[in-house]
Amino acid sequence: MSEKALKRKKIDFNSVSSVLYPVLFGILIFVLWECGVLNTVLKTDTNILPAPTRIAGIMSENSSKISENLSATMTVIIWGLIAGSFLGYMAAVFATRFPNFGKGALTVLSVFNAIPIVALAPVFNNWTKDVSSEASVRSTVAKILVVTVVCAASMSINAYRGLTELKPFSLDLMKSYAADNMTVFKKLRFHNSIPYIFTALKVSVPSSVITALVSEYFAEYRMGIGRQIRDNISIAQYSAGWAYIAVACLIGILMYIILIIFEGIFTKRHRK
Amino acid sequence: MADMQNSNVEIMLKDIGMVYKTNDGHDVTALTGVSLDIQKGEFISLLGPSGCGKTTLLRIIADLLQPTSGEISIAGESPRDARLSKKYGIVFQSPVLYDWRTVKKNIMLPLEIMHIPKAEREDRAMKMLDIVGLTEFANHYPNQLSGGMQQRVGIARALAIQPQILLMDEPFSALDEFTKEKLHEDLLRIWAKTNKTIIFVTHNIQEAVFLSSRICVLSPHPGRLSAVIDVDLPRPRTMDIKDTPEFTAYVAKVRNSCEGI
Repeated sequence: MSEKALKRKKIDFNSVSSVLYPVLFGILIFVLWECGVLNTVLKTDTNILPAPTRIAGIMSENSSKISENLSATMTVIIWGLIAGSFLGYMAAVFATRFPNFGKGALTVLSVFNAIPIVALAPVFNNWTKDVSSEASVRSTVAKILVVTVVCAASMSINAYRGLTELKPFSLDLMKSYAADNMTVFKKLRFHNSIPYIFTALKVSVPSSVITALVSEYFAEYRMGIGRQIRDNISIAQYSAGWAYIAVACLIGILMYIILIIFEGIFTKRHRK
Repeated sequence: MADMQNSNVEIMLKDIGMVYKTNDGHDVTALTGVSLDIQKGEFISLLGPSGCGKTTLLRIIADLLQPTSGEISIAGESPRDARLSKKYGIVFQSPVLYDWRTVKKNIMLPLEIMHIPKAEREDRAMKMLDIVGLTEFANHYPNQLSGGMQQRVGIARALAIQPQILLMDEPFSALDEFTKEKLHEDLLRIWAKTNKTIIFVTHNIQEAVFLSSRICVLSPHPGRLSAVIDVDLPRPRTMDIKDTPEFTAYVAKVRNSCEGI
């Protein structure tokens, strides 16, 4: 009992220190930044790299404009992430069911992963020309499509592994129960794939944020956090640019934290 | 007269052969000319060194593999029909428990697939847990259990579908000696209680002698049945029997029949 308690204490200490040290390091950086030490080290003036308090000030001054852009960007990230992950998972299920041509299809999908966002974005802008007469709608659809492609690729490859890399004999076990394909999927493959879904999301959540931001650069309609970063920096409004960069960082960090929490809940019982 | 003799035969193997094709196109004979009648309620061991085809033979009986020649009948049925009507409970080399299910839910898995009502599923799972002595671990998860306990859950799950035949493929080979001995006694107790036909694959002579009513010795290259030895040690058997001269004599006899393999 005491040994168990000791073990728990040790784990607690580890998890506390694993959070504490990075946070302390972050605070240290912020302090150096605020005091101007960072500017000296990086040889930049406070115009190009404003102090954190100044950036925070601009964020609160422009909160309504920021939140408008934020919601546009989040729409792209969330829908792209959902659509891409769903399609990727379906592709993996298809490849599992029909391994002969499914595997080839997955290879093609993974090639999409290698195409740079800057190349995909204009193509999708072109495709979505006739989707709506509203430029904002057209642009949103085009951006969602880019995120979808990026997320689908990582999900399909990981989910396929999750659906097929089963413990030895687990398929034999199902066969001995005369289980059909659907039962094998529901009782075995799906559950086995859950940790792999999270592996995919740990790649695709950050990359969906980056993809959304970059695809906004190329969008027809000027909207979103990424677009604001670009537009503000191009007119030398560095403080405003940094405010949007900070928002972009927060999106990425918060989404990742949420993901890790969900991973903890849903893969609690899976062997690591 | 012939009918009388056959009435108790549960598994009939006639001239079973299994030839694999390797990747480079060569034929490998895994089994050849295996004929054997297994009586209802027997405890049969398939004993032999690795590569003798004992697991292949078990998988053929279980309809997880199709033999390339020969005939099998399971109480008059084909192995496929026997599998579809859930006559087999299989215990594999590893417990194959699903990590995301509790012990009880692992045992209930085959019952869910068979669409057995929930109340009965629970009831049967608890009964099986009682048989393998794990009642208090019903709501634990597999990775909270030791290897021996996990394999006992595997046995409980195999018994849950109330199979006529229990097929066991080196189920205790990964366990330490102490756990193994305990499970040997447990298995004999379960066998006596449930009266199943058990086919037990092993490469351990002592294990085979201790458990079996009959030992089928297989030899490799190509895999074939080289001896069948009846083990007439008294039952119920306990650990003490291993110190008797009769036990030692059987071990020697089986070892002799394995020699030259």
